[in-house]
Amino acid sequence: MSQFFNQYFNFNVMGEHFGEVLVGFLQNLLVFAVAAALALTWGLVLALLRQLPGKKPMPIRFVTIAYIDFFRAVPILIIILMISGGVPFLSFLPESVRIPRWFGRPDTFWYGVTALVIVYGAFTAEVYRAGIEAVPRGQMEAARSLGMSHFQAMRHVVVPQGVTKIPAPMLNELISLLKDTTLISVIALSESVLVSREVLSERLNSSALTLTAIFFVIIILPLARVVDKLIARQQLKITRGSHIEVA
Amino acid sequence: MAEPMVKLEGIRKRFGKLEVLKGVDIEIAKGEVICILGPSGSGKSTLLRCVNLLEPPEEGEIFVEGNDICRGPGSGAGEQSWKLDFVRQRVGIVFQQFNLFPHKTALENVTLAQERALGRPKQEARAKATELLERVGLGDRLNQYPETLSGGQQQRVAIARALAMDPHVMLFDEVTSALDPELVKEVLDVMRELAEEGMTMMVVTHEIGFAREVADRVIFMDGGVIVEEGPPAEVLENPREERTRQFLGLVLDR
Repeated sequence: MSQFFNQYFNFNVMGEHFGEVLVGFLQNLLVFAVAAALALTWGLVLALLRQLPGKKPMPIRFVTIAYIDFFRAVPILIIILMISGGVPFLSFLPESVRIPRWFGRPDTFWYGVTALVIVYGAFTAEVYRAGIEAVPRGQMEAARSLGMSHFQAMRHVVVPQGVTKIPAPMLNELISLLKDTTLISVIALSESVLVSREVLSERLNSSALTLTAIFFVIIILPLARVVDKLIARQQLKITRGSHIEVA
Repeated sequence: MAEPMVKLEGIRKRFGKLEVLKGVDIEIAKGEVICILGPSGSGKSTLLRCVNLLEPPEEGEIFVEGNDICRGPGSGAGEQSWKLDFVRQRVGIVFQQFNLFPHKTALENVTLAQERALGRPKQEARAKATELLERVGLGDRLNQYPETLSGGQQQRVAIARALAMDPHVMLFDEVTSALDPELVKEVLDVMRELAEEGMTMMVVTHEIGFAREVADRVIFMDGGVIVEEGPPAEVLENPREERTRQFLGLVLDR
C-alpha cells in the first residue's frame, strides 16, 4: 500500500517539481484561452454558414455540414500529428505559416492551437446550431418582414437570443477543450503532461502526473458546478416560460 | 377604378401534398379594409403570408401598387432581393404570437428595423418609435421588455413596430387570437383608428363584430378558395352560401 502511495502521491516529488508542472499547466491554460476564443468564433461562422437560407448557398451548406461531421468524427490526436508533421513541408506556404512563431510562442503551440480550433470549431458549431434552432421561427419571420436581411436578422435578433440558451453545453465543450490541450504533449510542447512525463521517466514516479491531474480538477470542478447551475436555471426558465408561451 | 393597392390573381400554394390555396383572386383598393374569415385550415393565414412573400405562392401573381412582386421587373440575380425589398417597404405584418424581440425593449423593438433596414439615424428612429408607441397608448412603457407587458400591450408594440416602416398596406394575422378576452378591445381599437386614418388593411380574424363594424368588405374562405365575399352587412347577416352560414352559426353561437 505504501508503495502505491509512494508511486502516486509522493509529496517530495510533487514539491520538488511543483514549479515546472505549474509553468506547464499555465501553458495549457494559454493554449486553451487562445484556442477557445478562436474556436468560439470559428464555430459561430460555421453555424451561420450552415443556416444560410435558400437554394443558392446549398453547396456552402453541404461543405459546412461535411466539415462539421468529419471533424467531429476524427480523433484530435490524428489532426495534431497531421498538422505538425505535414504543414512544415508544404513549401507553397510562406515560412511564417509553415513554422509559425507568432507572439513569441513556439511552432508546436500554434500547431496544437490550430488542430484544436479546427476540431472544436465543429463541436461548438453544433452547440450554436442548437441555440439558433431553439429561437422560435417567428423571430426570424418578424425580422425579415420588417425588412431586415437574413444576416441582419441573425446578427441582431436570432443569435443574441440563441446564445443565451446554450451556456451549459458550450461550457461542457470548453471543459473538453481544456482537457484536450494535454494532447499537444505528443508534439513536444512543454505543457503540464509532457513535463510530468519527463519527471516520471527521470524519477520513475507518477506523482507529478497526479499533481497535473489535481490542477485540472481544481480548475474544472467549479466549472462543472457552474454548468449544473446553468442547466437548473434553464430548466426553471422553460417551466416558467411555458406558462406565458402557451396561447 | 383606380389601380388596386393589392391584387392577387390565381394564387396557389401547397405544403407537400396538401394544397392550401387553390386559386385565390382578390383586389384591394387603396384605403380599403377587408376582413378574411374562415375556419382554421381554410388557408386564410397562408394567403396573408403570401402577400408579403413569407410564403411565396407556387402559382399566380401578386401585384402591389401595380408591381408584380412574384415576377419582378427584370430577371436574374438581383430579382429576389428587389422583390423582397419592395414588398417589405410597402407591406407590414402583425402576427398572432406578436413575435416581439424579447431581448429588446419596446422602444428598441420599434427602432431596430428602422435603423438596420432603412438606415434611419438613431435620433430619427427613436423619435418615430416614441411617437408611434404614444399613439398606441404605450408612451409610458418605452423602456420595458416584452415579458413585462401584457399580451395586449405586446401586440400594440408589434403594431407600432410594423407602422414604423411606413407601410402602405398592413396585414393582420389573427392578431387577437392569442389574447385574453379583456385585452382584445385595446388592440382592435388601435386597428380601428388605423382604418379610419385610411390605411389599407387585410385582416384575418375571428372577431365578427370588428369585421361588421370596420371592414369595407368581408371575404369568407374555406378549403383554400373564396366561398363568398361582399359588404359585411350582406355576408354576415344574409350569407348566400350554406358553408358561410354554418361557420357564422358556429362562431356567433358562443
